[in-house]
Amino acid sequence: MEQASEPERGVSRRGFLATSAAAAALAAGTAGAPSPAAAATAGPARAGASVVRVTLRVNGRERTLSLDPRVTLLDALRERLDLTGTKKGCDRGQCGACTVHVEGRRVLSCLTLAAGLDGKAVTTVEGLARGDELHPVQRAFLECDGLQCGFCTPGQIMSAVALIREGHAGSEEEIREFMSGNICRCGAYPGIVAAVKAAGERG
Amino acid sequence: MTRTSLGAPLDRVDGRAKVTGAARYAADNNPAGLAHGYFVLSTIAKGTIRSIDAARASAAPGVLAVYSHANPLRLLPPRSYIAQFIGEPQRAMQDAVVRHYGQIVAMVVAETFEQARDAAALVTVEYDAQPPAADFLAGVPGARDPQTPFGHPVTILADGVPDIDAALAASEVTHTAVYTQPPEHHNPMEPHSAVAMWDGGKLTIHSGSQGPALHALDLAEGLGVPQEDVHVIGPYVGGGFGGKATSWSPTLLAAAAARALRRPVKVVTTREQLFTVTGHRTASHLTVTLGARRDGTLTAVKNLAVTTFEIENPASPPTAAYKCPNLDLRLKVVDLDIPRRTIMRAPGYAAGTFGLECAMDELAHELGLDPIELRMRNYATASPDKGLPYASKHLDECYRVGAERFGWSRRKAEPRSVTDGQWLVGMGMATCVLPSSQHAGAARVRFRANGTVEVACNTADLGTGAMTVLAMAGADRLGLPVGRIRPALGDSTLPVAAEGDSFMGAVGSAATSTILSAVHDAAGEAITALIAHAVSDARSPFHGMDAQDVRYSSGVLEGGGRRAGFGELLTTTGTPGVEAVTTATLGEDTERYAFITSGAHFCEVRVHRLTGEARLSRVTCVVDAGTIVNGKTARGQIAGGVVMSAGQALLEGAYVEPATGRIANANFADYLVPVNADIPAVDVHFLDHPDTRYNPQGARGLGELTGTGVAAAIANAIYNATGTRVRDLPITPDKLLS
Ligand code: FES
Ligand code: FES
Repeated sequence: MEQASEPERGVSRRGFLATSAAAAALAAGTAGAPSPAAAATAGPARAGASVVRVTLRVNGRERTLSLDPRVTLLDALRERLDLTGTKKGCDRGQCGACTVHVEGRRVLSCLTLAAGLDGKAVTTVEGLARGDELHPVQRAFLECDGLQCGFCTPGQIMSAVALIREGHAGSEEEIREFMSGNICRCGAYPGIVAAVKAAGERG
Repeated sequence: MTRTSLGAPLDRVDGRAKVTGAARYAADNNPAGLAHGYFVLSTIAKGTIRSIDAARASAAPGVLAVYSHANPLRLLPPRSYIAQFIGEPQRAMQDAVVRHYGQIVAMVVAETFEQARDAAALVTVEYDAQPPAADFLAGVPGARDPQTPFGHPVTILADGVPDIDAALAASEVTHTAVYTQPPEHHNPMEPHSAVAMWDGGKLTIHSGSQGPALHALDLAEGLGVPQEDVHVIGPYVGGGFGGKATSWSPTLLAAAAARALRRPVKVVTTREQLFTVTGHRTASHLTVTLGARRDGTLTAVKNLAVTTFEIENPASPPTAAYKCPNLDLRLKVVDLDIPRRTIMRAPGYAAGTFGLECAMDELAHELGLDPIELRMRNYATASPDKGLPYASKHLDECYRVGAERFGWSRRKAEPRSVTDGQWLVGMGMATCVLPSSQHAGAARVRFRANGTVEVACNTADLGTGAMTVLAMAGADRLGLPVGRIRPALGDSTLPVAAEGDSFMGAVGSAATSTILSAVHDAAGEAITALIAHAVSDARSPFHGMDAQDVRYSSGVLEGGGRRAGFGELLTTTGTPGVEAVTTATLGEDTERYAFITSGAHFCEVRVHRLTGEARLSRVTCVVDAGTIVNGKTARGQIAGGVVMSAGQALLEGAYVEPATGRIANANFADYLVPVNADIPAVDVHFLDHPDTRYNPQGARGLGELTGTGVAAAIANAIYNATGTRVRDLPITPDKLLS
């Protein structure tokens, strides 16, 4: 579904593969090395540990991490940065709960290695509201009851923000199609469609 | 009573936390020193573990421990019969026996998730395998009688009728057919997760559960500690649908590992593991036989259901659906070496109404009657099993209003009459029905000096809107705006009734009615306590007055020409709060009345002539659930049930390989659940007739209602579109092409 029409802006598929391969090579090359352990959370790694230093701009804030190269963006956010709004529903790219924006584009953070994102801007659900003022899409989800348990909601909202920006909220049909990468087991789909439509119309 | 807020379509009080990512679900807790657990699952379905080689895993970077039956985390078997029956009688890793494919056989705990996961792949397990019994259909002919106290046969015969077969033989027409469905998995978006930590002998565990009190009891029993030493915290639960009603091994193992390692442990089951380490809905095989007169009057219903679970009894719906003088409803059970079955949304009724409501459609077709007309000719005003009149049942109005909204009159009775290009278009309808349940629950209502009121109940909000209903119930009873209520649930330390089933929390669509009566009674007592405080505290302006002379209204006490808001009063007296905890007395007159929630579903389906793809294109649901407490969240529940049932009808089913007992499609790419594009607009309409004989607010539960009937309405629409009757769910394209 993603078109690489803006060459330098996003994470292109080829770029992703290249960084993944690099990460995999790093991991393989150091198998059996001492533990990166809690190094991921803070402080310098123990000597010899396989660690990648990455600087991400998360919700506008520079965050430098020393990471085990196996760490996905999802786990980096949740377990290292305590940004737990982004959810893990499958860890396999099958549910959309982990959707965040990298350089403004939707990505499944469970399929994205954090090590490959040095210097990139990441936006999560925590980065949408301005202080107490909700983002229009968040407000629409609340008002249209586009949620029940709320577990899929951060991913739904991040997808919705992007598809509205991309101009794919033109009709209910189009919204349904473009929101179909985000499973909602509670079945809040009618409310989700109403919310995306309302937010899209408000612009 | 004051109707300050009940009935308003209120935004969820926890909605802001959920749309901003601030809501913390179990796995969102990261205490200092956290270690991560990851499970190794069995790759056989039956046999014993010959050996486990954990050496490589133990030596892997960051690994703290590898547990298995050979290096066990001791767990005691559950004692409560709910846990044994609905949950697991046998906790994982306690012996060398393998009882199903995908059973937890080892647990690796490491400093990080990545280390635990990758080390788990280094554990080698050798088995002595035996061939499993994993083929449900093969087990149907030899199914056993159910184990009491569940699954009792129901036999009701008119005077002079010796048995059901005689009643069927005397019927002018009969219809008999078999309706089947595969196992279903709850698949809540939040997998079962826990973050456990100990402080001395006391456990605090973040874990999403439908019943925090029952969860704490299960944990205490499993870990061998007093129940009061277990604190379950789970204000946000990412979906339950019955799957989080009891406690499963992953949670217990997280707690046991945290105790052994003396540090906090987080466990998050993977989506694949969820299919086998927690419960599922049993497969079902239901033979429905209807006997009727030519005018459509039912004379006999004989149901023989077979499942793997006593509580999931698809033979039951005729006890609640239609007037019929002769009923014979039986369940048989098959024992298999497969993962554990448990309750799931509308147990028994989900599969049972699929069979019954398809059979009614088939009978209508045979008799040349409109499906609604057939149902009206058998309309029950009294409960078919108890014979008691329904206190409030407006299903007839649901049919009428639904037919009107949906445009039922445009339906062509003859199948395959309507086409739109390559699409065959059909309409179908079905009844949805579920006996109402509510519990005598406990609540705590606490007036606080800061002018807010805490309203607390030991239940959970799985996405149902219970937290919002709790706030509304308090606001309504106390005459306060919802914004001044602080609802609390999802915590095992909150008050729980000493007796009855309310400690199970949010099950059986009972939460709303349970909350309403509990809060109603507790708030009344809290007002009494507030007045008692006002007249007895020396610093109070009402000090020394007779309690009789002080009145409470909308947060303000008045009497003897004096007046004070409760916040002001408590501030003046220097008291942080005044509270009452009480268990509700239920008022429903079950001696004289029966209570039921019902509704009518109408569906339009388009089936592609060449590919066999079936698309749900229109849905109308008209629901009679008594007073609708919050139109917004109630709508979500009804539509959400339609979505899950559309999955039941068209997509869902676990495929258990008969030879190995392995679930071949244990992930979201292969076990299909509906996505947004599968679901059209859902027209939901509530009748809103208060059932005040049920409770003063007149509300009955509705969370599971649309788990019933919808699959039949879809199957009936598909028959109307194509002329093909599919009785085996899900209705996949192959079944429509053959
Ligand atoms: S968690 Fe990433 S798609 Fe499911
Ligand atoms: S709101 Fe529960 S999964 Fe979407």
